Amino acid sequence: MPFFEVRDLTMYYQTLRGQVKAVDGVSFSLEKGKALGIAGESGCGKSSMALTLLRLLPNNGRILAGSIAMDGMSLLDMPEETFRKTIRWKRISMIFQGAMNALNPVHRIGNQIVEAILTHEDVSREEAVKRTHDLLNMVGISPKRFGDYPHEFSGGMKQRVVIAMALACNPDLVIADEPTTALDVIVQAQVLKAIEDLRSRLQLSMILITHDLSVIAQFCDDVAIMYAGKIVERGSAGDVYSRPLHPYTAGLVRAFPNIAAGRSIIRSIPGSPPNLVDPPAGCRFHPRCPLADDRCRAEEPVLTARSGGHAVACHKVDVLAGGRDIWQEQPQSA
Amino acid sequence: MGYRTYLLRRAFYALIVLFVILSFNFALFRLMPGDPTSLIIDPRFTPEAKALLEKQFGLNDHPIVQYGKYLWSLLRFDLGRSFASQRPVRQELMERLPNTISLFLTSFVFMAGIGIAIGVFAAARRGSFTETFVTGAGLFTYAVPTFFFQLLLLMLFGYYIRIFPIHGTVSAPPPEGFWPQVLDRLHHLVLPAGSNVIIGFGSWALYTRNAMLEALSQDYIITARAKGLSQRAVLYRHALRSVLPPIVTLVFLSLPGLVTGAVITETIFSWHGVGRYLIDAVLKQDFPAAQGAFYLIAIAVIVSNFLADLVYGLVDPRIRVAGEQA
Repeated sequence: MPFFEVRDLTMYYQTLRGQVKAVDGVSFSLEKGKALGIAGESGCGKSSMALTLLRLLPNNGRILAGSIAMDGMSLLDMPEETFRKTIRWKRISMIFQGAMNALNPVHRIGNQIVEAILTHEDVSREEAVKRTHDLLNMVGISPKRFGDYPHEFSGGMKQRVVIAMALACNPDLVIADEPTTALDVIVQAQVLKAIEDLRSRLQLSMILITHDLSVIAQFCDDVAIMYAGKIVERGSAGDVYSRPLHPYTAGLVRAFPNIAAGRSIIRSIPGSPPNLVDPPAGCRFHPRCPLADDRCRAEEPVLTARSGGHAVACHKVDVLAGGRDIWQEQPQSA
Repeated sequence: MGYRTYLLRRAFYALIVLFVILSFNFALFRLMPGDPTSLIIDPRFTPEAKALLEKQFGLNDHPIVQYGKYLWSLLRFDLGRSFASQRPVRQELMERLPNTISLFLTSFVFMAGIGIAIGVFAAARRGSFTETFVTGAGLFTYAVPTFFFQLLLLMLFGYYIRIFPIHGTVSAPPPEGFWPQVLDRLHHLVLPAGSNVIIGFGSWALYTRNAMLEALSQDYIITARAKGLSQRAVLYRHALRSVLPPIVTLVFLSLPGLVTGAVITETIFSWHGVGRYLIDAVLKQDFPAAQGAFYLIAIAVIVSNFLADLVYGLVDPRIRVAGEQA
């Protein structure tokens, strides 16, 4: 049994315009100590999924179906109070976008970490403060800055504080939601390296959510590609990047420059992601897909495993498996 | 700019504002129609007696000289003698000031306390029936004209159902002993203070509710919830604490409004305070009395603005620390 398993998770937001199908039948699993990357465009439902995993949805977000299991424990059936005390931060913590507003501007950063420890563990304040000093050291921030406020830190340092905070209660699983977005590339590299070092040192399992494929390539074992609330392709990072089987994945990979390869033209995928209130029938990608035919427009493809755990949801999988570069052939029009 | 420089600069501005207000004050009453001596002079007096009186009060001096004397006496808090009562204005104001302060401090503490509490409550239960009801009620009472509502209360609880006195600050004669007198004053306080609270709590509740909703939608609230903090800790330690700076500022900024609001409330409830003293003085063309009352109000406004600046720096670390670093 995998350490962390999500099955058919379905979460819709109820809005005045109708249901927003943000997470629609998502399944994946994660082994202990591994890192899974979840990639997709903005608005594809990846951040909603992160919130769903910690049951932090706004009032209009409803989990309609599916299950989340950790060590065989069903997390969705747990009463809220038990979940809050025993799972949140204690077993599953989260690295938010620290450069933004993830830290409360009116509290000292040290106290924000101490608060997390005291909520979940029966230790004295002195003990919690001491541990916070160690945590700050671990992410490369001087413990002398315990009493400083968030506005006194740079974006990269705030992100380190957020990382230290995520590790405060020795969680088993850390969900990182765009941990390096809004940081410049140099700081981004430093932060990623800090996360990677800690992850291997502490044997953490991690779910990394980002729109940046290169970040996932750098340190995830597995990757899941999300499109319009669904996972369209899943597999080991190597397989998915070198032999993408879904037209969308192939398009994403092409859209990133490869520093090692020769000159090639970067191509974007024409069109934009669908409105999740009323997604296209059949395969949700069909309006943007060069291979789409009548079957794609009518029948929704199911995520099907192929060799080596590489799974894809596409009727045209044989075309890409055959090695054709479908995006090369397309004339690029708006 | 350091915090100290900042404060010194604010203090300097405050003094300029005070000077401008005092000058306006001086001009205002001399531009008003009417002859101040007419109130104390019997029409049967001879013109000589009138001239003597005008000379005594300095009304014949050149306006510049009057202005100079006026500023110099205000600096020494010498507010002159009332034309109407012939008593020193400072003494009359000092008699009334405690009444005004007790009425408005009571109103204010309950108004802001109840308002903020309701605002927090409404934000926490957004969309519920109770929330809609309390915010609606707050808006309604806020929209009702003060004098109308107060007269209504006065008629209802002072006349039809006689459970509260209809005028005054204490009974005349006041009851014997310390505690009976305190109770008697409290009894007189209920209607004026209570009506202020009912009229004023709504704006506090709505302001707090909106600020809280804004705070609750911030990323750091998700962080706080993700950390597994209880609902209560998220609400108070994170959301309320982060909206405290603007609320505290608002507390100090609204203090002067209370002093001026005194004018209506004190008139309606015949409260022996500064507001009513001002009204009487204006009606009687009593220059020194009106100027004294205005002086007091101006100082109250300026001091509370200055305190607001000062306190904002204390509750908002972003301002406080910026000062320390400089």
